[in-house]
Amino acid sequence: MTDTVLQFDNVVKRFGDRTILDGVSTSVQSGEIVCFIGPSGTGKSTLLRCVNGLETIEGGAIRFEGTPVQAKQRSIIDVRRRIGMIFQHFNLYPHLTALENVMLAPVIVHGENRKTVEERARGLFEKVRLSHRINAYPAQMSGGEQQRVAIARALATNPHILLFDEPTSALDPETVGEVLAVMRDLAVEGRTMLVVTHEIRFAADVGTRMVFLDGGKIVEEGNPREMLAAPRSERARRFLSTISNAAH
Amino acid sequence: MSAQLLSYTPLLLKAALVTIWLSWLALLIGAVGGTLVALARMSTFLPLRLLALLFTEFFRSIPILIVLFFVFFGVPLIFGLDLSPFAATTIALALHATSTMSEVIRAGLESVGKGQWEAARAAGMTYWQMMRHVIVPQALRVILPPSVGVYIATLKESSLASIIGYVELTKTGLLIRETMGSSFVPLLLLALIYFLINYGISLGGAALERRFHVNTRLMTAGAGQ
Ligand SMILES: Nc1ncnc2c1ncn2[C@@H]1O[C@H](COP(=O)(O)OP(=O)(O)OP(=O)(O)O)[C@@H](O)[C@H]1O
Ligand SMILES: [Mg+2]
Repeated sequence: MTDTVLQFDNVVKRFGDRTILDGVSTSVQSGEIVCFIGPSGTGKSTLLRCVNGLETIEGGAIRFEGTPVQAKQRSIIDVRRRIGMIFQHFNLYPHLTALENVMLAPVIVHGENRKTVEERARGLFEKVRLSHRINAYPAQMSGGEQQRVAIARALATNPHILLFDEPTSALDPETVGEVLAVMRDLAVEGRTMLVVTHEIRFAADVGTRMVFLDGGKIVEEGNPREMLAAPRSERARRFLSTISNAAH
Repeated sequence: MSAQLLSYTPLLLKAALVTIWLSWLALLIGAVGGTLVALARMSTFLPLRLLALLFTEFFRSIPILIVLFFVFFGVPLIFGLDLSPFAATTIALALHATSTMSEVIRAGLESVGKGQWEAARAAGMTYWQMMRHVIVPQALRVILPPSVGVYIATLKESSLASIIGYVELTKTGLLIRETMGSSFVPLLLLALIYFLINYGISLGGAALERRFHVNTRLMTAGAGQ
């Protein structure tokens, strides 16, 4: 039996009079790696941002480990403390070194002992293969290095789920691989991950489920390899053929 | 005559200190008040935002001398509460500094990218944790340089207190001038003292900025490992 980490029930999100998410229902079980794919502007980032209340929802419900996610309530802080987020543009704190970036939330948000946190942080830098860059400032690092620090920062609070929003699409091609390699390691560890990505190969290799989103709706979901080999819907077929053409 | 002037030196020094203290106090109140007004300006609650906007525009548009008269003569009339010239001047200057500083602080806070606020919130920080550890340290680099300018402006404006009879630097200079038969020399001396004080503040501010700048360089360029 698996535990449901995340549950979307008919989620509706509007910006003004534009409906961005139009009744999204799905769930994420513990240990799953769910990859969201879909055309640009279709609401993938928005869906991810609703999970930790960076956006409010206008209809339906999202439950994280049984708790309703309510962006405007104080309870959201408690939800966020159990979720790690990795952004497309890293969003590292530029005034702090890599090590300080990783240590900040455990120390000030979770009130952990500095020594314990520093030890764990050093372990995380080893995991993301950046032990030699611990004292660098974000501006001194390449995009790939910054994104790996961002992953270490997200891991530092022992989150129950990791949210990735196109973690490699702002990177130079030569540094994409090092970030994906770290993400593969996380998958092997059995982390629960929700990944918005255009890296179809990664989704096929690592994902346990693929969700194709279009026009604010889930058009198709299933096993990534099966879906890539034989998409059931016409829209998924068209989308997948465009991006695999672009990749060649 | 110069011997006579020399004998006034302790008086002038004391007056200079009064002026520095007065404007420093006004600036401090202005920094705290300006922070509150800036946060109100950025609030999601519309009435609060409008109130803050009104406050800022109001005090930006009215001469400080008028505000000073209102505080000094108006407050006793309306509230039956006598204000000393010192208190009245401090309040008037602080009101003006608050409106200026609120704009400076708002610009500083808004200079911090949206991604920073989101990363801090996603990490589960409370509003104050986010401000204290993520936003303010970055905003300060933008806030500091114009704040030095606000201090200098406030210090110069404090000479208006002489009009309601408060004996600060300008008033002291004018009193000395009277005893010396309307000589021109005390005025020159006044200008020189103001210049020295403000130049000192400028230098101090520049030194502070340099200290911040070292960090800024690390933050924005590859200074090597
Ligand atoms: N704060 C906002 N205000 C208004 N509209 C917004 C806002 N954020 C996003 N949108 C709109 O919502 C739609 C969905 O955006 P979203 O970023 O979720 O798409 P996406 O699927 O992540 O696209 P991409 O692949 O380009 O990242 C877009 O049309 C976008 O313009
Ligand atoms: Mg997106």
